[in-house]
Amino acid sequence: MKMKWICILLCGLSLSAVAQRPVPAGGAGKKILLMGATAHIGNGQVIEMSAIGIDHDKLSFVMDAKGYKPDPRAFDTIIYVNGRQAYPGFIAMNTNLGLSDLELVRATNDFRESGSINPSARALIAYNADSRVIPTVRDNGILLAQVAPQGGLLSGTSSLMQLDAWNWEDAAVKADEGLWLNWPSMRIVKASWADPEEEQKERNDKAMQNLIRQFDEARAYARGNPAIKNRHLEAMKGLFDGSQILYIRCNYAREIVEAVNFAGRYNIRIAIAGGSDSWRVSSLLKEKNIPVIITRTHALPYREDEDVDLPYKLPFLLRKAGVQCAIADDGFWQQRNLGFQAGTAAAYGLSKEEALESITLIPARIMGVEKTCGSLEDGKDATLFISSGDALDMTGCSVEMAFVQGRMIDLDNYQKELYRRYVDKYQLEKK
Amino acid sequence: MRKILTWLFTLLGGLSALQAQDTRPVTGLADEREVVYAFRNATLVSDPQTILRGATLLIRKDRIIGAGTQVDIPPGAIVYDLKGSYVYPSFIDAFTDYGMPEVKAEARGNRRERGPQVESTTSGAYYWNQAVHPEFEAHAVFDADAKKAAEWRKLGFGAALSLQKDGIARGSAVLVWLGEGRDHEQILRDRAANGFSFNKGSSTQDYPSSLMGSIALLRQAYLDARWYAQAPEKTHDFSLEAWNNNITLPQVFEVSDYRSALRADRIAKEFGQKYIIKGGGDEYKRVEEIQKTGAAFILPLNFPKAFDVSNPFDALNINLGEMRHWEMAPANPGILAKAGVPFAFTCSGLKDKKDFHAALLKAVRCGLSKEKALAALTTVPAELFGMAAQTGTLKAGMLASFFICTKDYFEKDPVILEHWVAGKRYVIRWTDSLDIRASYALKLDTLSRWNLVASGEQHAPEWSLRRDSVKVKVEASQMNSQWTFRFEPNKGKGAYRLNGSFSEHGDTLSGQAQSPEGNWLSWSALRSGNADQRKDSAKTDSAFVLPPTWYPNMAYGWKGKEGFPKAGAVLFQNVTAWTCEEQGILHHTDVLIRDGKIVAVGKASDAEKVNMAGVEVVNGSGLHLTPGIIDEHSHIAINEGVNEGTQSITSEVRIGDVIDPDDIDIYRQLAGGVTSSHLLHGSANAVGGQTALIKLRWGHAAEELKFKGADPFIKFALGENVKQSNWGDNNVSRYPQTRMGVEQIYIDAFSRARAYDLAWKKFNGTRTKGAPAVAPRRDLELEALAEILNKKRFITCHSYQQGEINMLMHVADSFGFRVNTFTHILEGYKVADKMKKHGAGGSSFSDWWAYKYEVIEAIPYNGAIMHQCGIVTAFNSDDAEMARRLNQEAAKAVKYGNVSEEEALKFVTLNPAKLLHVDQSTGSIKPGKDADLVLWNGPPLSVYSRPLMTFVDGIRYYDSKRDEQMRQENERERQRLIRKMQEEKNSGAPVQKASATLKEHYHCNDLEHLPH
Repeated sequence: MKMKWICILLCGLSLSAVAQRPVPAGGAGKKILLMGATAHIGNGQVIEMSAIGIDHDKLSFVMDAKGYKPDPRAFDTIIYVNGRQAYPGFIAMNTNLGLSDLELVRATNDFRESGSINPSARALIAYNADSRVIPTVRDNGILLAQVAPQGGLLSGTSSLMQLDAWNWEDAAVKADEGLWLNWPSMRIVKASWADPEEEQKERNDKAMQNLIRQFDEARAYARGNPAIKNRHLEAMKGLFDGSQILYIRCNYAREIVEAVNFAGRYNIRIAIAGGSDSWRVSSLLKEKNIPVIITRTHALPYREDEDVDLPYKLPFLLRKAGVQCAIADDGFWQQRNLGFQAGTAAAYGLSKEEALESITLIPARIMGVEKTCGSLEDGKDATLFISSGDALDMTGCSVEMAFVQGRMIDLDNYQKELYRRYVDKYQLEKK
Repeated sequence: MRKILTWLFTLLGGLSALQAQDTRPVTGLADEREVVYAFRNATLVSDPQTILRGATLLIRKDRIIGAGTQVDIPPGAIVYDLKGSYVYPSFIDAFTDYGMPEVKAEARGNRRERGPQVESTTSGAYYWNQAVHPEFEAHAVFDADAKKAAEWRKLGFGAALSLQKDGIARGSAVLVWLGEGRDHEQILRDRAANGFSFNKGSSTQDYPSSLMGSIALLRQAYLDARWYAQAPEKTHDFSLEAWNNNITLPQVFEVSDYRSALRADRIAKEFGQKYIIKGGGDEYKRVEEIQKTGAAFILPLNFPKAFDVSNPFDALNINLGEMRHWEMAPANPGILAKAGVPFAFTCSGLKDKKDFHAALLKAVRCGLSKEKALAALTTVPAELFGMAAQTGTLKAGMLASFFICTKDYFEKDPVILEHWVAGKRYVIRWTDSLDIRASYALKLDTLSRWNLVASGEQHAPEWSLRRDSVKVKVEASQMNSQWTFRFEPNKGKGAYRLNGSFSEHGDTLSGQAQSPEGNWLSWSALRSGNADQRKDSAKTDSAFVLPPTWYPNMAYGWKGKEGFPKAGAVLFQNVTAWTCEEQGILHHTDVLIRDGKIVAVGKASDAEKVNMAGVEVVNGSGLHLTPGIIDEHSHIAINEGVNEGTQSITSEVRIGDVIDPDDIDIYRQLAGGVTSSHLLHGSANAVGGQTALIKLRWGHAAEELKFKGADPFIKFALGENVKQSNWGDNNVSRYPQTRMGVEQIYIDAFSRARAYDLAWKKFNGTRTKGAPAVAPRRDLELEALAEILNKKRFITCHSYQQGEINMLMHVADSFGFRVNTFTHILEGYKVADKMKKHGAGGSSFSDWWAYKYEVIEAIPYNGAIMHQCGIVTAFNSDDAEMARRLNQEAAKAVKYGNVSEEEALKFVTLNPAKLLHVDQSTGSIKPGKDADLVLWNGPPLSVYSRPLMTFVDGIRYYDSKRDEQMRQENERERQRLIRKMQEEKNSGAPVQKASATLKEHYHCNDLEHLPH
């Protein structure tokens, strides 16, 4: 009887979806029980046969279902998901999802403000909750996204969003949680398109001096009681009282070391984003407890001589060295492959559960939301999904249902609609 | 007899002096002189093989009239005693722009910002392309530069080939003396050579923007010139006339590296030319191929400085390939000499010409014989430019160009005293011919027990004042015949200041002096003995040991020719084989490969097991064997530009001309199970270039990578890139700018191609009948299009939006051919029925979209729909990174659209093989096919699986275990070189900053060299 429930639910969703974008799910008010899934908690643990209770927007319990006989009266819905896999919603970090809809159509790009000093720019309000890209990403279990600005020296602030919302206000899980800095290059490069080496050096030095100036003045501003309010410096105050984290984009070992020294000098919290060379300075990162957000495991080695699989095994190298490592993906539409980026890390050293942690609980910890997000644990937000198979593997990932803060969301999207349209046109199902 | 000869040469000398007369009227008094100079007691380096000691060189005016050990000095000759000195023939710099006007390179800027320049801006009746200017004549603008000539002479150079280093067809060069005086006297030979390169130089015209475009332009110009020579009707083109006039000259072709040297050689062979190739200095990397060209080379001596590796992180920026090149570049001349490749040297490329001597010595220390080194500076360039009978050796009858050197030129710090260029004397260091090094007993004031001692170099002696073991510094200098000495024998008591001169035979010094107190004194010093010769304590450099060349000479290269993996016989036992054939997936089966081919699939019979001697058995339990992955759309391994997007139709350019065999991405793809990559031109224009299908035979030269016997393909493109939609507001004029224009440009091009084809068919028909006819002009662009019409060349077309796809199929239908493949084809699902009907295949991305407007309706189900509609469907990468995981991309066809795993794997194996017409030899596991295989540690479509071995033609080019070893070897080699570079730095040698060389990874919309 309960199995029918699922069928009705699923069919209902696909039939109703003729619109271009799915409607955000209605308010959570239900008590739902998910019975029988293999639950991947997100903290390394697995419950082979689980019972997951959802009460309104929270997880009321996640436990071993062995010997558990649910009382049907205690739930509005009981869904049997035996043989399926349950995961906490994946968290895409360092993405411009919702900030861009078509890369080469300028009008859709809202992630790079002009000028180099933009600490006051907020990705939060540029986030387009109606983007047609977002539903395609959710369909692979990505239910939360850290939406981050790019460009310049100080790009602006990022916010953590949930991906089923009417508008950016609804979407915000944690607003303005961190500031983004592009570390000035400390490498001189030779290439046909590169500027002369002297010019590069001068530019890098200037950027570095500018950076120090910005932070000296921002710290003085934060400590003092300035009569004149300054938008830039105001926006950086959170760094000095510890309420905000500074995300520093850099890859080269010397840049990472410099960034760490910088954080020490100003006594601020930082995370390294990119971090191609982070494994080379892992002892320093461990000692200072600085996390790394890797941009893509699906990348070419940073240097010609490096191990051909270095980007694949980078998360493993960091974890082995005791460094917290989150895995991210580039861009916005690409986020639907986030799980596979983690899957690759599992093929090269990490366990599958560790790989999962790097796109769930570790990102939550870095953003300071681990009390409500990132794992399937009692009291946390009921943001999770059920896949018919291993969600980190292309051949297994098929999301059957997903919940954002207790609401079961519509998994249809524009691409599926087009698919159906042409399956009908060619009558492929009959073949 | 000897005398007669001498007289004969004197006569000849006189004749040449007559020839050198000019037309100027004598405006003052005539001043003609016929002085004979004799240089005796010299070590005469007559030619690189002949060193004569105690020899005499006799010159009269600009000629040598005697050279040897048995030369009589005629009465009245001015005689110089060169005891201890060496005389060398003047060197010839084989590649300079000495005396040429500066090339004004107008800042071309970024094409996006500047907008298009389709036409040449050269005025006059010249070739349509600005970079082709064979009409340039160096001798016509040559203007001697006394200051620069002096710099060269100081190093030993007395002549130079001078050309304008600008453009693709550069025009003629002039061989000049490096003397002073009227320009007339400096010209040794006008039109001494004809210059080429692949670099368009100062040309502002868009075409060509890529290396392959330069190659196509050169080939077309050769054809045009031939046609021009015999065409009855033509418009005047003075470039082509000059081209034909220059074709008999020595042809000097400048390239940047060994890869382009081989490219130039292919052009030479195609057009029956013999090039003298000005190389990049890295020819040692493929010396066998270089040797096979049969070309002579001009080599630079600009060996890289050691990198500053003091900081261990900075050192990471330097690739092993760069480090190895640093070590091996100085050995390049020696390696080429051993391989019998003739070459001349040039100072070109040296930041400072003064570094020439040290660099030359380095080359000698690294294995080049002195004889070959000398030949490269004298006889070889003289022969290359047809002047061997005039200069390059010191023999009677030759022009008198030579220099006098204090010692063997190949020792440290030789001093060139004089340089005589065509009989004209240039003193570089004035010195007495006497050897004054000796101990002189001083008589001065009360200093009777002191000796004044000159020691060290003969022509720059070091002076000191000595008494027993006490040694006092002497400040000494010479002005004409008078010497100045200043010394302070008793510290603190003031200095003696002496003026003095040597007696005629050099045994006495005498003159006037002033004592510290100011008293005037007479002084003298009598030669009393030899100066104790201090042995030069300069440390001898440790012997150079030539490391084996790696193939390629970088990380992951094979160690020497013997280090290449070889094809053997391998039995994969008890493996899961994804055959991609009718048998489907075979579990617990055996696959045998031998000599590059798949021999047997299925449980090995006992009979076969008997014959298993020498067969390597791989235990395949739990492992999966698949056909090698074939990437239908790749841009790896391409040098200097993936797009010749300057004109809308560039079917004449060929990716096959610019394959880069040294691209690390080849090895990286192998590590991802790829065995073949289809290298495509970019998508910047409607008709791009001819493609190249390669097998990833890592380590082999470019030509050996090509897939033998594969059908030729060409890249077409539709959509935003072709219309320049994303090029900004300055690029709105190149035709076409709309889909409407794209259709028209295709129809127009194919109409012209059809007419062209008919003209040739007609010509070939009449020719067989014996009727004389003039051949139509060969047009490489139309020729390639005609091949499409004749079904000899096949299209793979970059495409997204359904309307255009439909249009191109209609155009093809109307011209009677088929579009073989639509690549990208993200809206293929919308026209799958039409594609099926037309017979086109589809090679798509699995899940890309939203990167530009035309992919707004791209869906990841596209592959599945096309496949289910019966279209041969493939997934490709267009990306060096994704190509390493094409198995995972194939898996997405299972995820999006429920294609079976077996069929999905074919998306990256058999189906691309079919699309490329190579499914007869690769793409599946079938006896008789090439052993292009991948052994995986798990199911091939899983994200968790990785290749353990990749075979191409049965050769294991990738093996994960061997890869571990190679990583260690890379690291060991890095550390060895890092130590060596530190030693170099410690020795005080200059070093260069450890800047990181970035690699270009191309995608199909990359223009010029700007990846984005």
